[in-house]
Amino acid sequence: MFIAAFLLVQFLIPLTYLAREDASDDRFTWRSLNAPVAPSCETSASLERFDGQREDIPLQKLIHQDWVGYVQRDRRAVVDAFLRKQCDAQDVLQVELINRCDDERGTHEYNLRCGGERSHATARTATR
Amino acid sequence: MKPLERYWFGDVALARPYLVLRFVLALLAFDTWLNMMPHGAKYGVGAFNVAHFPWFGTFVPSAAFYLGVLAFTGVLALSQALYRPHRIAIVLIAAGYTLGWACSLLDSVPYHYLLSLYLICFVFFPMLSARAAFSRSDQAPRGSAWAYVLFCVTTAIVYFYVAAWSAAKGQAYWLPMVCCVGYLVVSMQDRAELPALRMAAPLLAAPPIAFHLLAPQQGWLPFYMIGIAMIVFTPEQWIHSMGRALTQPARSLAEERPEGGIDERASQVFYLSLLGLVVAPMVSMFVDLPGVKTGCTLTAIAMVFVMGRQLYFTPRWRPLWRVASLFGGCLALWITLTASSARFDFYHEGALDADRRGDHDAAIVLREKADRYAR
Repeated sequence: MFIAAFLLVQFLIPLTYLAREDASDDRFTWRSLNAPVAPSCETSASLERFDGQREDIPLQKLIHQDWVGYVQRDRRAVVDAFLRKQCDAQDVLQVELINRCDDERGTHEYNLRCGGERSHATARTATR
Repeated sequence: MKPLERYWFGDVALARPYLVLRFVLALLAFDTWLNMMPHGAKYGVGAFNVAHFPWFGTFVPSAAFYLGVLAFTGVLALSQALYRPHRIAIVLIAAGYTLGWACSLLDSVPYHYLLSLYLICFVFFPMLSARAAFSRSDQAPRGSAWAYVLFCVTTAIVYFYVAAWSAAKGQAYWLPMVCCVGYLVVSMQDRAELPALRMAAPLLAAPPIAFHLLAPQQGWLPFYMIGIAMIVFTPEQWIHSMGRALTQPARSLAEERPEGGIDERASQVFYLSLLGLVVAPMVSMFVDLPGVKTGCTLTAIAMVFVMGRQLYFTPRWRPLWRVASLFGGCLALWITLTASSARFDFYHEGALDADRRGDHDAAIVLREKADRYAR
């Protein structure tokens, strides 16, 4: 029974990749035995306060470079966690993060209204 | 016996589970110290973390936590590789190692997940002594070891998916697929009724070795997989002879002779073991990395659980060998970290990141430490 369950889990977990919303998340799938290739996306983040004032968020100064890499690769779980963390500050209404990539990924915009769990994402394909 | 039962519960040369278990545990110890610990400085930075699984919640592992877990796992793993492994210890190693990578996406190395699967298999491996696996006769001992077969099938599943995704991307997939088939059939090679498979098995070692030499891979995965392939595919007599040669010192050292004064010896063993359990983790005081002292102390506490009643009820030397293996683990940790660039890398990476974030005070402290260990 244990053997069957253990094998079934191992077979099914890689298949979950096909149903994952986040294409950059290929953990436990054996799609690659190598480290992911570094992206060439430019990331900017900003927050809006209740009084309407907007502020840039210095991403590189707040989190480790590896997390910045995840954000630049559009890893949704990390992007959402980062946006939620910015909402912990006082008087923040909403947080926005934009990933501009030179490749086919185009531009991805994430917007989180504080209090929510998941950001709203919009994608625009690159114009060139 | 039905064919499926024969597949899972048929005989294997006991030298294979014995060597695979020790090889992976020993390599895992050095892998955690040399490849994982140097990256520990990134943990806890900015109090930000995303774990692999949601049940970690908002937990943010610090560098000390991460290094402590790795020190604990590595020392315990090496101590179990040095002396007869204990199931409780393997459970703790599996839990510690899995916690190490699962607590943060910062560790997303694919084969760390594979090692956790292996460690789960190891929990159910036969816990053999050197003498049980390599009896004095030249006849290689055999026995049923379903967890070893599970270990082989687990490896086959990995190759199956590597092949499947390669095929989906339109890349060559035959090499990992041959590896997959090899691992599915090789666990049957030690059975008397399959002489043809026994003859073909050594040839089946070539595909995994070639695959891991040719395909780009992260970390020490090729070392693990080539070593495992050598143990799994080598003919029974060869692996038995090799194992006998490797375990010769252990078999002669651990030999126990009946002597008088049993009660007196039991108390001596108890006090010596206790002393060893207290002194062994002290070696980590010279390591100068956050969390390592705690990790080593926890390993000594874990060892008390592993020894259990054995610690104060036995006149045999077994508890002392366990304590000696703990000493070996702690000493190996200290020598490895002192002789390698692991400490420099840890502090240097931390200093660079602190600089990048504008935390210049922390950067100065970390850089001073890095300079101390620069070579």
